[in-house]
Amino acid sequence: MELLISILVVAPILALLVGFCFSNHQEKPIFSSAITGVGVNFVVALTVLVLWLQGGMESVFVKGPVLYYAKETEFALSFFLDGYGLSYILLSTFLTGIIILFSRTYLHREKGFKRFFNILKFFYCGLMVLLLAGNLEILFVGWEIIGVTSFFLISFYRERYLPVKNAVKVVSLYRVADISMLLGIWVCHHYFGRSLNFGELNGLHNAQPHIMAHGFYEFFIPATFLLAAMVKSAQVPFSSWLPRAMEGPTTSSAIFYGSLSVHIGVFLLIRTSPLWEDNSAFRWLVGGVGLVTCFSTTLIGRVQSTIKTQIAYSSVAQIGLMFIEVAMGFYGFAIIHFVCNALFRSHQLLVSPSVLNYQIHNQFFHFSKPAGQGTAGLWNKVKLSCYSLGVQEFRLDRFMFQSFWRPLKKAGNFFTFLGTQNTYILALPPFLIGVYAAYHKAVVPESILKFLPEGFALVGLVFILKAFVERRSALNAWVLIVVNQLYQSLAFSFNEEFDMSQVYLYLSGISVSAFIGIWVLNRMRNNGEDISLAKFHGHSYEYPRLAFLFVFACLGLAGFPITPTFIGEDLMLGHIHENQFPLLILIVLNLIMDGLVIFRIYSRLFLGPHEKGYHETAYRSS
Amino acid sequence: MSDFQEALLFERLKHHLPTQAALKDFVHHNPLHSFQEMEFFKAIFSASKIFGIKPTFSMNEYRRLHQAGRIDSEVIERIIRQEKGGDDVDAWQEKLLRRGYPHVYEPKVGRLRSRWNAELKCSLEDRVQPLLFRIICSYLDQGISLWPFPFEDQGVVEAVRKIEKNSFASFFRSKRARKLLLDGEASMQDLLKIVVGREELYEQYLFDQQFSHKGWSGIINAIEDQPETLFYQKKIDLRGFIMLELLLEIDAIDQELGEGWKPLGERSGVIPEDYFEEIPLGEMEEVLKLWQLAFEWSYYDEVLAGVGYLNKLKRRPHDNQKSFQAVFCVDDRECSIRRYFEEVDPNCETYGAPGFFGVSIYFQPFGGKFFEKNCPVPITPKHVIQELEAKTPHGSVPFHDKHSHTFFRGLWCSLSLGLTSGARMILDLFRPTMRADIADAFAHMDINGKLHIECDDPEQKINGVQAGYTVPEMADVVEGILRGIGLISDFAEMVYIVAHGSSSANNPHHGAHDCGACSGRPGAPNARVFAHMANHPRVREILKGREIDIPESTHFLPAMHDTASDEIGYYDRIQLSEKGRENHKANLVNIEKALDLNAKERARRFASIDVNQDIRKIRRAIKKRSHSYFEPRPELGHGTNALCFIGARHRLKGLFLDRRAFLQSYDYQQDPEGEVLANVLAPLPGVCGGINLEYYFSRMDIEKMGAGTKLPHNVVGLIGVANSSDGDLRPGLPLQMIENHDPVRLLMLVEHRPEVVLRILKASPENCEWFSKGWLHLVVSSPDDGELYHFKDGGFQPYEPLAQVSTVDDITNTIHSHPKMRSNHILDATRENIPVHVYDGSSRKTELTK
Repeated sequence: MELLISILVVAPILALLVGFCFSNHQEKPIFSSAITGVGVNFVVALTVLVLWLQGGMESVFVKGPVLYYAKETEFALSFFLDGYGLSYILLSTFLTGIIILFSRTYLHREKGFKRFFNILKFFYCGLMVLLLAGNLEILFVGWEIIGVTSFFLISFYRERYLPVKNAVKVVSLYRVADISMLLGIWVCHHYFGRSLNFGELNGLHNAQPHIMAHGFYEFFIPATFLLAAMVKSAQVPFSSWLPRAMEGPTTSSAIFYGSLSVHIGVFLLIRTSPLWEDNSAFRWLVGGVGLVTCFSTTLIGRVQSTIKTQIAYSSVAQIGLMFIEVAMGFYGFAIIHFVCNALFRSHQLLVSPSVLNYQIHNQFFHFSKPAGQGTAGLWNKVKLSCYSLGVQEFRLDRFMFQSFWRPLKKAGNFFTFLGTQNTYILALPPFLIGVYAAYHKAVVPESILKFLPEGFALVGLVFILKAFVERRSALNAWVLIVVNQLYQSLAFSFNEEFDMSQVYLYLSGISVSAFIGIWVLNRMRNNGEDISLAKFHGHSYEYPRLAFLFVFACLGLAGFPITPTFIGEDLMLGHIHENQFPLLILIVLNLIMDGLVIFRIYSRLFLGPHEKGYHETAYRSS
Repeated sequence: MSDFQEALLFERLKHHLPTQAALKDFVHHNPLHSFQEMEFFKAIFSASKIFGIKPTFSMNEYRRLHQAGRIDSEVIERIIRQEKGGDDVDAWQEKLLRRGYPHVYEPKVGRLRSRWNAELKCSLEDRVQPLLFRIICSYLDQGISLWPFPFEDQGVVEAVRKIEKNSFASFFRSKRARKLLLDGEASMQDLLKIVVGREELYEQYLFDQQFSHKGWSGIINAIEDQPETLFYQKKIDLRGFIMLELLLEIDAIDQELGEGWKPLGERSGVIPEDYFEEIPLGEMEEVLKLWQLAFEWSYYDEVLAGVGYLNKLKRRPHDNQKSFQAVFCVDDRECSIRRYFEEVDPNCETYGAPGFFGVSIYFQPFGGKFFEKNCPVPITPKHVIQELEAKTPHGSVPFHDKHSHTFFRGLWCSLSLGLTSGARMILDLFRPTMRADIADAFAHMDINGKLHIECDDPEQKINGVQAGYTVPEMADVVEGILRGIGLISDFAEMVYIVAHGSSSANNPHHGAHDCGACSGRPGAPNARVFAHMANHPRVREILKGREIDIPESTHFLPAMHDTASDEIGYYDRIQLSEKGRENHKANLVNIEKALDLNAKERARRFASIDVNQDIRKIRRAIKKRSHSYFEPRPELGHGTNALCFIGARHRLKGLFLDRRAFLQSYDYQQDPEGEVLANVLAPLPGVCGGINLEYYFSRMDIEKMGAGTKLPHNVVGLIGVANSSDGDLRPGLPLQMIENHDPVRLLMLVEHRPEVVLRILKASPENCEWFSKGWLHLVVSSPDDGELYHFKDGGFQPYEPLAQVSTVDDITNTIHSHPKMRSNHILDATRENIPVHVYDGSSRKTELTK
């Protein structure tokens, strides 16, 4: 069983690595490597199913090697499998296989043929990691992979404006979910005093002795996961990202946003259910979220006049219902509902272009003009109000902009009085002093030392906000991110649980990524390219390799789990104490902003309509 | 601005917007129709400067095409001599081959309005367009949403106003815009006054605004002009749409700047600009023009060399007993099937005529609530043909049921159909079958359905048109076609009237694969009606009086060729006599063989099919493509179309044109004065030229003139496709249809004396402009001396081909050994097109009498 489970994770990774070896026109090997990886997994998953059934449907826990160990946290590569996870695995393997087979012909001769298959395989890897994760840290790795692949699939047609804009929009929301998950991991460490294994998760018991406010944690812990689940599963008020994510080829929309990616919130809730099952008030909350979503997305879905957005909203309404089912404790039914809904909506999306022919034909033979709408009476007014709100998607998209982007922009613009040079000049001395002080803590008076972590985190936030509104040079923004990261590590260094090796771990990934990034940006600038951030440049048209390299730099700098930075980040978060809420909030804000700025830089420089216009470029609105 | 000026403004705006109607009525037309009064190159480069489109390849691409041998050096030299005189040939050659030209990309349209972005520090388009598109799309929606837009019969502004008045929610965020709407007194000019301020900028601003989403503006323009393109009719006009957009703009700007802002025109640095003033062309454009000409003539020259060579052979058609005759559509896709008909059965004869066969009708299938137009777009039919009964029921597909998107039904559907759809997906991948949601060419009309063709009472009208034809009308139609194609004697016992249609799955653009002469629909009803007319004893009697004597033993049998699945279906076989049935059975063997060979020739371009396998497997694979959901290229449409030949079929026999020619039959000997030719020629520039230019521009700029790749397309309101939920409609052809197309203008080749053709052209200035302004090329092949004459500067000049004629014995081998394209970039793609060959198969040798 252990071996089989590790194959489930390893096979897709191998398939992904093999897929990189081919060039875009070698469609056959690209396809074969993909279908082999998924095919092997399908057979293995079926075998696992049989074994699992024979084994009395007991859940399985596989303790893997410990990657990093510190006093109270360990980062172990362990896996956990139960009925819910297994159903999800079987379904995702089946659907991924179908989509690969479908896409082989569908994407024939597409410019991004190889890219598509690689992203799909990477997504599948992430899904396997997430579904099999034995602890929250591993689950988070899978979670992040799914988020990043979403970004690349939405911006698959990277030479057009809207896909890129929507990809940035979606990934910013995802970032909120990611950080919410990180918070959840942090607070769990504190509560339990160690890393949690799903195998032994049985509720909020055995808290650390120093935990006082139990009532608070009962809500705070599950709330972090609920928020993450709501974002990923497009529940109200986050629903508006889903229709906007339907930018890639129809096949990718079918698998990502029709089924596998968007249902992951339901899985997360079931996985973390021991943490809130006993809390009836929280169950009402989960159910309430579901209910509100059911109601509003059904209304929105009724007035959608494009086929893919209609399927998106009707799917979200069903997911809302799944939230209610989960809240009521019907996990098994929720999983059945999920499997059916995922298959049904994927299929609907795959054949969605046929709707034109089919419905026109229907209309031709069966059309009858709908009855006119009245205006008198309250009922008609309510109906018209619903219509108007539905067409505007309850203003959810605008709401996200107003409540999320705009305040950040405003905050960033507040610091425009700091010129670029001034910023650096102001940044350096405190930093040097800080570094000196970090190694010689004795020189700093106790009363000041207490506030230093918050102080440095706050200064760091200023830099990242400046980077967020930077328009002139990507290089500046990039350096500002690095400065911000340095300040964050300073903030950690002054936290009482000081272990320099963790900071090194954190900085190791960052420094490499930072240098790669600077090298790429410098190279672009020396080639005479525009690297301002005022608009999209679409440089990936001319510099596809640099773009690819830069993606790695970005992922590294953003703490994506491909470098040790991620472990460092996790560990350092663990050193924030539960009484340090201001510091926590500052760090969380820092981390969210880091991600936003990094994705912004990447997409502004390398994605979007290519500015040079010597080849075909699409209109902005198309 | 006076009303008169405003009317002029609207006329200009409407003139330039795309005219593609709802996708179900896809009809090819010249996308730059608004520039057609200009000379071709001047027009395309002006359009490029104004709208930012890419009308030719880039300099670099032409140079690489030259290096690859696709553009011939001798042709380049000849083109330079022709266009620039013989003095500076070397200098021009240097310019073509080596000089660097900086590329400037600064489209004019959009400049004025883009100033808002700087003023607002955010994009006005991002603020306005998503909601605007949502409103207009819901308004025009034909049946995707469950709630139809209320008050759809009152115009979009009035409908929005009524919703606004009677609801607790609002589309607007600021007070002023809402008040302007509710008051209902503001005219478009009042709104423009608020937003733009200065009258002289209005036109410019509206062009910027409407061309920032030319897809939506275009379809509104098209629906305004032909409301019948929507079954569920909506009242809509461009003015209302513009007003709505202006109101939303005011709303967005009010939110950013408060109510006291200055109009755009009163801000500093705004200078009015005439987008359409004459633009001088630079040297780069001159060079690109020479390159494009060289690209085109490198191909035409091969064709003309072949034609000239065959002319010299002085061949006569054989006078064996005809086994059967078949009349096809002029369509370029029928070019190869006709070749195989003649190869398999050397005693048969094929003809080409526009695929509506002179039958301009509305068609009403049994139980249909509307009329379908089955004739070329410019014609307004005077007859309707009704289907009286149909037996095959139309299936239903629960996956497309709207109610699966409601909450409770959605739950029920996903639980009950969820696992089924898993099974369906597997079946559709491995065993695709024809389903009700696939566009099936043969489902358009029941194969056994009865048609009401003969008119009983001309006074009785349905919706203002006559039901069926009277006998004299029938005789006129039949005579027109038969004279046109030169078939007035020597009738075989069986004459097939072969219409065509195309089946495809998951393809919103399926109309673009059907018969263009039938308004983008399968032409089977027309074939049936025509055959019925030609079989009618009283029609034959009348025709006899007009010197067309159709023997009693001759039977016209309607059929339809599915160009995607390569099948031919026959209608009204029940009317065949015993002998006719046997005759048909004998022919069927040959026809199936021809279809085999045709399928095999088409298969060479399809990566998924191995051409070396058994022919039955190839046929199955070809058929499978036509109903596979995962197949974005069920067939390749008119890709590669480049020629239109008007003349006797036997002239071109032995010339391999790789399915690139529209073939219209015409016999100059029966028409020495060219009276018939004038009729035959009249519809061709519009139909063939429309197809050719649509492919040309979609190929040159797939993003701005084409619809881009079809993979992300999202069906919008059942009227069009867009890329995403916030995106504009995408008119034009999708990438998957134009990949193999070499963008050359259509070369019309007419078999007649130059002076006759010249006289016809002079008599019809409208048709003449297609050629004199260079939107199409015209070459006449004179039957007297076998020489070729090129139409240039209003007259005919002798044309001397440069190319060597390539001859082969076994053309099949040439076809199947030809390489496939590696990518769809023009440099790779053009290699897949087989050069012109004169081939000399054994069956043909007997005919070559020198």
